Amino acid sequence: MIVRAEGLTKRFPVRRGWGETLRAPFGGRRAVAVDTVTFAVAEGEIFGLLGQNGAGKTTLFKMLATLILADAGHAEVGGHDVANAPEAVRRLLAPVLANERSLYWRLPADENLRLYAALQGLHGAAARAEVARVLAVTGLADTGGKLVGAFSSGMRQRLLIARALLGRPRVLLLDEPTRSLDPISARDFRRFLRETVVRAEGCTVLLATHDADEVWELCDRVAVLERGRLLATDATPVLRDRAGTDRYRLWVRAEDGAAATARAAGVGVALARRGATVEAGWDEYVGEVPGGAEAAARLLAALAAAEVRVARCERAAPTLADLIERVLATAGGRDA
Amino acid sequence: MRSVVALLRAAWLTAASYRVAMLLSFAALLASIVPLWFVAGALQPVVAESIAQEGGQYFGFLLVGVAATYLLSSATAAIPSALAGSIGSGTFEALLVTRTPLPLLLAGMAAYPLTQSVLRALVLLAGAAVAGVPIAWSSMPLAAAIAAVMLLAYLGVGLVAGALVLVFRTSGPLTTAVIALSGLLGGVYYSVRVIPSWLQDLSGAIPLTYALRAARMLLLGGAAPGEVLADLGMLALLAATALAIGTLAFGAALRHARRAGTLSQY
Repeated sequence: MIVRAEGLTKRFPVRRGWGETLRAPFGGRRAVAVDTVTFAVAEGEIFGLLGQNGAGKTTLFKMLATLILADAGHAEVGGHDVANAPEAVRRLLAPVLANERSLYWRLPADENLRLYAALQGLHGAAARAEVARVLAVTGLADTGGKLVGAFSSGMRQRLLIARALLGRPRVLLLDEPTRSLDPISARDFRRFLRETVVRAEGCTVLLATHDADEVWELCDRVAVLERGRLLATDATPVLRDRAGTDRYRLWVRAEDGAAATARAAGVGVALARRGATVEAGWDEYVGEVPGGAEAAARLLAALAAAEVRVARCERAAPTLADLIERVLATAGGRDA
Repeated sequence: MRSVVALLRAAWLTAASYRVAMLLSFAALLASIVPLWFVAGALQPVVAESIAQEGGQYFGFLLVGVAATYLLSSATAAIPSALAGSIGSGTFEALLVTRTPLPLLLAGMAAYPLTQSVLRALVLLAGAAVAGVPIAWSSMPLAAAIAAVMLLAYLGVGLVAGALVLVFRTSGPLTTAVIALSGLLGGVYYSVRVIPSWLQDLSGAIPLTYALRAARMLLLGGAAPGEVLADLGMLALLAATALAIGTLAFGAALRHARRAGTLSQY
């Protein structure tokens, strides 16, 4: 295991008003950000940390990145303790800080990278070669001389990754990397992450996100964090099935909508049109189909009998809310 | 050391990208010499006696004082300013997770403002030479060493101010008070011999007092190196004390920020 965390705990003081502070200057509550979190990540894995905003993902990452000291528990990266050997950890692990402002916007991309190459101990020809390599890896080779201020959000995101890849770290920490990207850029970015960063560069990736779809698409294993507690850790398909819902999505021909709704009601399914038209002439309908695949097949047969045209029918992937709800409902909300 | 140079280079390239600001800053520096020339001319008869040991020429005396003020101001403010700016932009976190040790990162972050102030000080000295002030250039290496020790002393204060920024996000009045007190009691505009005796005792605790007296005696008064050794020794003692206090304070503040998780909070 390249990353291992055991019982990691972090509490932060809760900010108080002036009156309370004056009454009890040394008192005050502490809020739990990360609560006895234990997990391990194998080399070459994409490990997802899935949780809502404020679940403790960023705090957990910052503890692994040696930026925050844990109150209890310990973590190791490549066998080095993050609290006692931070320098050794920084040689193996690179957090991709999502903050685009941490780049030098008045400088070209290659100058940004040249600076960080030097800070990673690379100089002269070795630094130039490494900068060229990470620019090529991140698809920025043609824009190395362009000012960062003129970059799009997606390009800056790639540059942040390029910066983290300098010095060939074995572990990358990515904190909501697609947060500021449009859907197409986010899809391209996920592909880049899987094919280039993990397969070609051989990095282990820890990905924190609140986007369940991102986890289903990318991660080998996933941990669910809720209010600092680790609710579940498992292989992605296992957790996805475990949290699977009976919600189905159907693409129905627009003019057949009324017939579809009526026919579905006849077999006990409440279909509802969802949002805008998904494709010219086709609308998306969503409905709970209790009984799983067999019941879905009966619904489709009923729709076909009524000559309702259906272009697509699929079980919807569970959302983060589904997942948390299901996990909390089973086994007291905890898993090994 | 290469990390420091890389940070200096990045800061220089960023500053140079604001071309108009850079040109205006240089023009303002040159223009600031002109009023000093007239003020020095007007006050020369009044102060000549009190600065006899330092060459007796008030214009040179004043320019060396102002040059030293540039140096101490940047040494005091460079670290807290760079820290506040880099915490605000998120750069500090990005720097901290690199393999470069923290002391080198801090040196690199302070390198550009310090280099800039050294260049400004040299421009003032060159201005003095052009205006006919007799400067003992042979004493320049020792004067530069004195300036370097003075910078270390005020960098110690800067580290304490940086510690305050890490913990409270402000250094409060510390840097302003140190710069103002040094200017008033350290002998920038007048010899410390002319201030009341009880204030002279206070000026004895200020590094600038020793640095300025020694530098002026060397550069303007033609003093031999042996004549400034006592001042240099006292200055070194103050620098060592300030650096030790600053290092301890900064280390404690960084540990506090890591425990409190506030390193990246704006």
